Amino acid sequence: MGFALRRLAHSLFVLWAVVTILFLMFRLMPGNPLAAYINEQLSEDDQRLIMAQFGLNRPLYEQYVIYLWNLLQGNLGMSFFRREPVWDVLKSALPNTLILTITGLVIAYIFGILTGAWLATKRGTLAEAVIVPAALATRAAPEFWIGMILLTIFAFTFGWFPSGGANSAGAAYTSEWDRILSRDYVLHLVLPALTLALYLQGLPLLLMRSTMLEILHDEFITMAKIKGLSPWRITIHHAARNALLPVVTAFALGLGATLGGNVVVETVFSWPGLGRLLVAAVAQSDYPLAQGAFFLISLVLIILNLIVDLVYGWLDPRVSHG
Amino acid sequence: MSRSFSRRQALIITGATTLLSTTALTPLAFAQGAGDPVRKIVLITDTQGAAPQAYQAGQLIAQAWKQLGLDVEARPMARQAQSDLVWFNRDKWDTTMWRMVGRPERSDPDEMTFNLFHSSTAPRGFNFVGYNSPEYDKVAEQQRQTVDPAARQNLIKQAQQIISRDAPYAFLVHPNTLQAFNQNVFDPASIVVQKGVGIRNFWTFIGATPKGTQKAMIINSGTALQAIHPLYIAGAPDSWMNELIWDRLVRIGPDGLPRPWAAESFKFVDDKTVDVVIRGDMIFHDGKPVTIDDVIFSFEAPLTTDKSPMFKPFVTDIDRIEKTGERAMRIHLKRINAAFATTALGRVFIVPKHVWEPHLKSVEGKPDTLESIRDPMNVGSGPFRQVRARLNEEVVIERHAGHWAAPKVDRVVLRVIPNAEAVVGMVRSGEINLLSEYGGDPDVLEKLSKDNPAIKLTQVTDVGIEFMAFNNRRPPFDDPVFRSALSAAIDRNVIIQAAWNGYAVESISHVSPAIDFWHSTEVKAPATGIALAKSILDKAGYKVEGGRLRYPPGKKETLQPPG
Repeated sequence: MGFALRRLAHSLFVLWAVVTILFLMFRLMPGNPLAAYINEQLSEDDQRLIMAQFGLNRPLYEQYVIYLWNLLQGNLGMSFFRREPVWDVLKSALPNTLILTITGLVIAYIFGILTGAWLATKRGTLAEAVIVPAALATRAAPEFWIGMILLTIFAFTFGWFPSGGANSAGAAYTSEWDRILSRDYVLHLVLPALTLALYLQGLPLLLMRSTMLEILHDEFITMAKIKGLSPWRITIHHAARNALLPVVTAFALGLGATLGGNVVVETVFSWPGLGRLLVAAVAQSDYPLAQGAFFLISLVLIILNLIVDLVYGWLDPRVSHG
Repeated sequence: MSRSFSRRQALIITGATTLLSTTALTPLAFAQGAGDPVRKIVLITDTQGAAPQAYQAGQLIAQAWKQLGLDVEARPMARQAQSDLVWFNRDKWDTTMWRMVGRPERSDPDEMTFNLFHSSTAPRGFNFVGYNSPEYDKVAEQQRQTVDPAARQNLIKQAQQIISRDAPYAFLVHPNTLQAFNQNVFDPASIVVQKGVGIRNFWTFIGATPKGTQKAMIINSGTALQAIHPLYIAGAPDSWMNELIWDRLVRIGPDGLPRPWAAESFKFVDDKTVDVVIRGDMIFHDGKPVTIDDVIFSFEAPLTTDKSPMFKPFVTDIDRIEKTGERAMRIHLKRINAAFATTALGRVFIVPKHVWEPHLKSVEGKPDTLESIRDPMNVGSGPFRQVRARLNEEVVIERHAGHWAAPKVDRVVLRVIPNAEAVVGMVRSGEINLLSEYGGDPDVLEKLSKDNPAIKLTQVTDVGIEFMAFNNRRPPFDDPVFRSALSAAIDRNVIIQAAWNGYAVESISHVSPAIDFWHSTEVKAPATGIALAKSILDKAGYKVEGGRLRYPPGKKETLQPPG
């Protein structure tokens, strides 16, 4: 219990630090949100009015206190340029980002875990000689390149999948769930999710393989072999289960890290997600929107870190006493 | 498209000229009695990712200027930082790539003529270069006050001549706008090409006639929308939708001239009085009729309150508005404005008073403005009504059957597609049937059109201009001769081929040839060449010593290169 509370306090401190850095970072960056309002007759009074509307006419410390106070109340502020609450803007992009990220990660990790476990049993074979470099090459290839190759083959040439967006033009649905669960949405998801999965599969594959290689030399595996268990049962039920722990950690952290890092995939496939929104907000100096997007990503990352730490503490009591 | 030489050849020629000219500097060296060396000049460009053409042009210009003995640093900047520096720190930069984008309302030359160069806009307005000429000011003011088109045309041409002589900018190009549509889907005769704008225009949206079963027009935008709102000016795609949802008294016709729209007629009773009569058959999307009170409210909200700041500039010339009949109003102006029909009647959207008056009351006494208020239904009286708007993804508007000029298509779907290559694929597959903007390689689009006869490519010269702006406040750019020499050093043909892939025309003034009534054919493209530029500088007393260009005798360098 004490360990959990300590970790929680630590997470809250990290969150406060992130929030503070975000606040200062955008205000110290070159650029001015007024630059997007360049208008032939925008008078000095109009400029002052806009700055007052944004709250940028107040001293920095005052802006900071207001920002923290609003945040504590769950208020992320109003987007400077969209003139909408930041949360409303973010929540329109969040489902698309979560679905793309989770689908890509799940495909990557299922493929990576199974292939990594299998490859650990194939040391020195042709399969290892081919698959390991192929996995590394796919991991190293730029995402936009993989995306464009997939688009060219499966969308432009064969026409099996749409070329971009999350739905066909003008498609109407009764609810957001209807939209997300529609065949049309899934068809649009395939290529971006596959691109993301190809990009992400290298880490779980190699991590699983190397952990498995260590574990396959452990005494309990030798014991299982002596007991006469089948190689498949030994690999899956004994070795793979024990090798999974670091891979699961990587999955949790990967989810947080990938959440805001899909800008390239989102751009190549015109996927309406958080990444593109974030880039546009930073480029425009839309402080509240950029802060809100970064805050959301940080929050997910910190929560996932906390969960992983707590799960670790539960799985391995030595961690909580360390 | 005819081309004198390829992009690669253009780059080779530029490189070779650089080498030759470095050696050619020697004879000018060691001139006696020259002034201080000119400090390092910082040339601000867009980043390559944001505007590859302008970036490339900036690099070529920097190379050319180095051949004159100048120490030039081409410094790419993110658009926001560039705008911040150029607009809000007016004495802290030397020279920058800049553009005025083409908009239908810029078909009237007033904005380009008055706002860009009149000295009154130098402190905070669009004359960010700080050009100051009493002679020019007079002409710019006169054109605004001259209602007779022929007389005004003369003044606009005179203004172009003065600017050509004084060279506050080095004009570079008017880009060509490349667009396309599927002629299996739409009757080609119903697609309207608007001067300086292209096929993505109001007249196409309402006039495009489907040939078969596909009744939806599907267009693209490379950037997400920010707001669909009648009192807020955001990005370009936002304005495409706004002008279809909300009507205006006047619209700019395909010929670039204003024509009555929601106004049945408008007439200048005298120089400062305009009578407007609105149509009697207009209804809002919620079924209520459009009345003269709605129109007066639409103009008075920005005029008499500070709650619609973005639209205030359009009504600043209005003194007061009086209702003179069930469908009539009289606008009294504070001053004569020859472009009033375009800059005011053609800009303000007619909004429903019954929707916006309560909102106006709700923000009274608060710092908020109407820009922060959302009407979820976005009720207008335009030819289309909003169905839904997912601003990152897609906006759908449908035909307003009750409109007196109801469109032929059932709906317009605007898709946000940031990937230019994917856009080409979508045009090919039919996922887009009218390519409204394109930022990719023009050759790819030309090939697509050749391979697919259904895809009809269109190309028009833009009203907009790409130019190199000189900071007229800072020496040596305060010297018109120096500016002219730097302009003469720029080979526009190389820039058109190398940076714009041949898809642009040379710009010689601030009034594009796209609006031929106002464009001056008397102003000729200035002769260019490094040798010519050197000779201009030499005659004005600028000498090269030790490879560095120096001021005329006695002139001291007082400034540091921008940080």
